Amino acid sequence: MADQSHGDGGIAGHLQYWTVKLDESNPFMQIHVDTMLITIVVAASMFGFALWLKGRLVEGAPKGAQNFMESVVGFVDQTVKDNFPVHNPLIAPLAFTVFCFIALINTLDVLPAFLLGNVAHLFGVDHFRPVPTNDLNLPAAMAVSVFALVLYYEFKLKPVHFCKELLMEPFTNLVPGFLKPIVMPINLILKIVEELAKPLSLSFRLFGNMFAGEVIFLLIAFLLLGGGAVGMAAGFFVGLAWSAFHLFIGLLQAFIFMILTVVYLSIAHQPVEH
Amino acid sequence: MSIDLTFIGQIVVFLTLVFLMKKYLYGPMADLMEARSQKIADGLAAADAGKEAKAKAEAEIAEQLKVARTKASEVIASAEKRAAEINEAAVVKAREEAQQIVDSAREEVNAELNRARQTLRSEVADIAMLAAERVVESELDAKRHAKLVEGIVSAGFGNA
Repeated sequence: MADQSHGDGGIAGHLQYWTVKLDESNPFMQIHVDTMLITIVVAASMFGFALWLKGRLVEGAPKGAQNFMESVVGFVDQTVKDNFPVHNPLIAPLAFTVFCFIALINTLDVLPAFLLGNVAHLFGVDHFRPVPTNDLNLPAAMAVSVFALVLYYEFKLKPVHFCKELLMEPFTNLVPGFLKPIVMPINLILKIVEELAKPLSLSFRLFGNMFAGEVIFLLIAFLLLGGGAVGMAAGFFVGLAWSAFHLFIGLLQAFIFMILTVVYLSIAHQPVEH
Repeated sequence: MSIDLTFIGQIVVFLTLVFLMKKYLYGPMADLMEARSQKIADGLAAADAGKEAKAKAEAEIAEQLKVARTKASEVIASAEKRAAEINEAAVVKAREEAQQIVDSAREEVNAELNRARQTLRSEVADIAMLAAERVVESELDAKRHAKLVEGIVSAGFGNA
């Protein structure tokens, strides 16, 4: 199937990034221009929207865009309030940004699978992936940022308790005193795995969902669009149905990412129980 | 599908975006919504206070109305009493006046009657005298018999 219709590598060929290698020998020293470009465009449009809306905020009854954004802000605010034991002015804006950013980017996935790729071909670019959440770099960047914040708050709010938890909970507390030094490293390793699982699951969940969604788009395109008029029609409708479903998944993943961000940070803010 | 420099770039983009969103979108909107909720809460509190004041004023009005009504009924009662008294006095006075009128009329009638009786008596006596005179004109002494005739007349008309 790979060389059936679209020449350069079939589906796998469409899953390539527009990559600029800064150092051929080091695989880390490269940059995905498409991912960077799209995220910057989305971020810039969000910023532009913010500036535009800020100039026309009214204190009375909100209308149109302000009304819509207020419902989003109110929804995020409520979520944060429900989960947080203390007030932290950073959490709600963070959750709000996470939600809007991911939701917007995921929504880009409803664009026809090859559209941006073909546009890019016109400019002589071989590969172009339109949805940055398909690129592990973006979910990972967000998840790691959140994780760094979690660690920051853990160490800032209850350093002793957190270190003690790393070393003692749950196994070291169970064994008699002379065994504690032996069990401690094991406990620490398990604890580190547990903590690392948070950003990993956070980023891979989003990445996996969106990546799979795009692969299915490509599968629909490859399997159906090549098959004459009937195949084209079927491909159109199946693609449309999947678009609708994928839109829902994108929104859901944005919500999940947001709520998990809030929950992880809320755990870091939980007061120490004595 | 590899972690590379894009990752660093994405962290920068993401954190910048968080900062910008907080400063330019979330912050102003949250402040605005907070201010609005405060305003609404104030408005509701003011409305409640107004309602309370209204209820109080209404109670006061009802109280005053009650007092006024009592006073009015008192005034009416006393006025009615006074009117009844005046009426009573007028009736009594009228009755007295009527009695006086009746009395004086009766006196007048009696006096008239007596006068008439007196006149009649004297006239009858004169007629009788005239008659007797005519009968016994020749022989009778008018002076001697006048007493006799008067006695007869008085006996005849005594109860008239």
